[in-house]
Amino acid sequence: MYYGGETELRRTVLHSRHRELGAKLVDFGGWEMPLWYRAGAVKEHMAVVTAAGLFDTSHMDVVHVGGSGARAFLDRAFTRDISTLQPGRAGYGAFLGQNGDCIDDAIVYPIEEGRWSVVVNAGMGPEIARHLRGLPGSPAEIGEPAERATKIDLQGPKAQEILAMILPDPAALFEKLPYFSFKGDFDFSKSAVRLRNGVPALLSRTGYTGELGFEIFLPLDRAGPVWDELLALGGEKGLLPCGLAARDSLRTGAALALSHRDIGHWPYVNHPWRFALPYSSDGAFTKDFVGRAALEKAAPSARHTLAFAGYDPRRVEPADATALVGGKPAGMVTTIVTDMAIGRIGGGIVSIASPDRPEGWMPHGLACGFVRVDAHLSPGSIIVLKDGRREIEVEIRDEIRPNRTARRKLALNELP
Amino acid sequence: MKELDELLLPENLRYAEDHEWISETAPFRIGISDFAQDQLGDLTFVELPEVGAVFAKGDEFGALESTKSVSPLYIPVDGKVTAINAAVRDDPGKVNEDPYGDGWLIEIEPSDPAEIGKMMDRAAYKKRLEESPR
Repeated sequence: MYYGGETELRRTVLHSRHRELGAKLVDFGGWEMPLWYRAGAVKEHMAVVTAAGLFDTSHMDVVHVGGSGARAFLDRAFTRDISTLQPGRAGYGAFLGQNGDCIDDAIVYPIEEGRWSVVVNAGMGPEIARHLRGLPGSPAEIGEPAERATKIDLQGPKAQEILAMILPDPAALFEKLPYFSFKGDFDFSKSAVRLRNGVPALLSRTGYTGELGFEIFLPLDRAGPVWDELLALGGEKGLLPCGLAARDSLRTGAALALSHRDIGHWPYVNHPWRFALPYSSDGAFTKDFVGRAALEKAAPSARHTLAFAGYDPRRVEPADATALVGGKPAGMVTTIVTDMAIGRIGGGIVSIASPDRPEGWMPHGLACGFVRVDAHLSPGSIIVLKDGRREIEVEIRDEIRPNRTARRKLALNELP
Repeated sequence: MKELDELLLPENLRYAEDHEWISETAPFRIGISDFAQDQLGDLTFVELPEVGAVFAKGDEFGALESTKSVSPLYIPVDGKVTAINAAVRDDPGKVNEDPYGDGWLIEIEPSDPAEIGKMMDRAAYKKRLEESPR
């Protein structure tokens, strides 16, 4: 699923470090990126759920949108209502075509009035910039940011205490930094956030693992030593460098979408990510946005994307698999991974990090992911996934891995 | 990822094109090579046959699931399964940690033990990996 052609691959500034750390490298969106390091994907996944992991995510693109009309323009171009999103807060949503299909998902950052940064997936910057320029009323400035950044994701319940070790004044920085907020500037010369050694940064309380954590944007030429320092200081707290395999299993367990797999060129509706659309309590849209009319038209008949979890680690091959509802083919599997940090106890799902787990209990992992099927199914419905090898029963669910820490309040006292 | 010269490739084993190994003498154990476990990455599930199952050379006798893929296991010679390693069902990581020891998969009674001698020895398998590391 991660492999591409043998064409010239782009490398991040941390590439030589990945090699030294024994990474297995693969093509991901035209970038040569770590699939896993020496510890292996299972230990990496476990580290993020119980301690912390460090990811090089510099392959993601940033699009700059500037000008006096930037807010109103982006609010119309983006599915999420960002009309009142204040500088310092970030918003997750998607960019749709007029046909309601999803071009890419993104996090938008209002840096200050008239200056926005949009973080999109690997290689998607040029396409999103082109799409935005083609919309009516597009502001003058749409394109690459002034400088390309390195992005390092520090994720896991111990992410805060590890990050604190490289901050000059951790308490000040962590104050008023709830989930989906940020401090600093993508224009690093203007960033008020400095790490302990004077490195300017943008610190975002976001991530793609479902666990407590930060996405740290750094100038290209300063990122290497920060990566080294975090690994060196975090090692005794269980921090591991983590690759794409762990990233995929962690985000799936957290029921987060992968763009171009779980969302893509079909109507962006009838999926678990309702928070990315501007629904009112009665299910109508509260604002106008590109693709709205097509979504409203498609909603009654569009297929439903639903999260599921199985009963053991066994998977099917997604490319060959059919979802059977009541024994009849009803759709496809878009993602299936094994979340090795969870298992079933008495029918319910328990995580290695659940406070109520039995003493000494070790999970064997559960298959989980997303299906796209013809009809809506309620949580608790049992369906069958079938490929050429086997059939597995899975349960439709709202949530997969319990006791995740992404939204945990940051500790402001008792910092190391 | 391991370089070719870091791979453990014991003597006294024979190797198959699909990276299974089998002992040269009884008991005839079967597992996967260090190369195979390194390529697959961490295993999440091991599917093994029942004791008593009979397979012809090339038959699928089980599967290994890693975080990356589901990979069928092929029997390298005709034979009947006499034992399975239940411990790797409980802890698939044993196959990664010790593919020739605690991570063995099944034992068989080969229909014709002489067939094993026709498989690649250590030197031939190493050459095969050098020529085509897949």
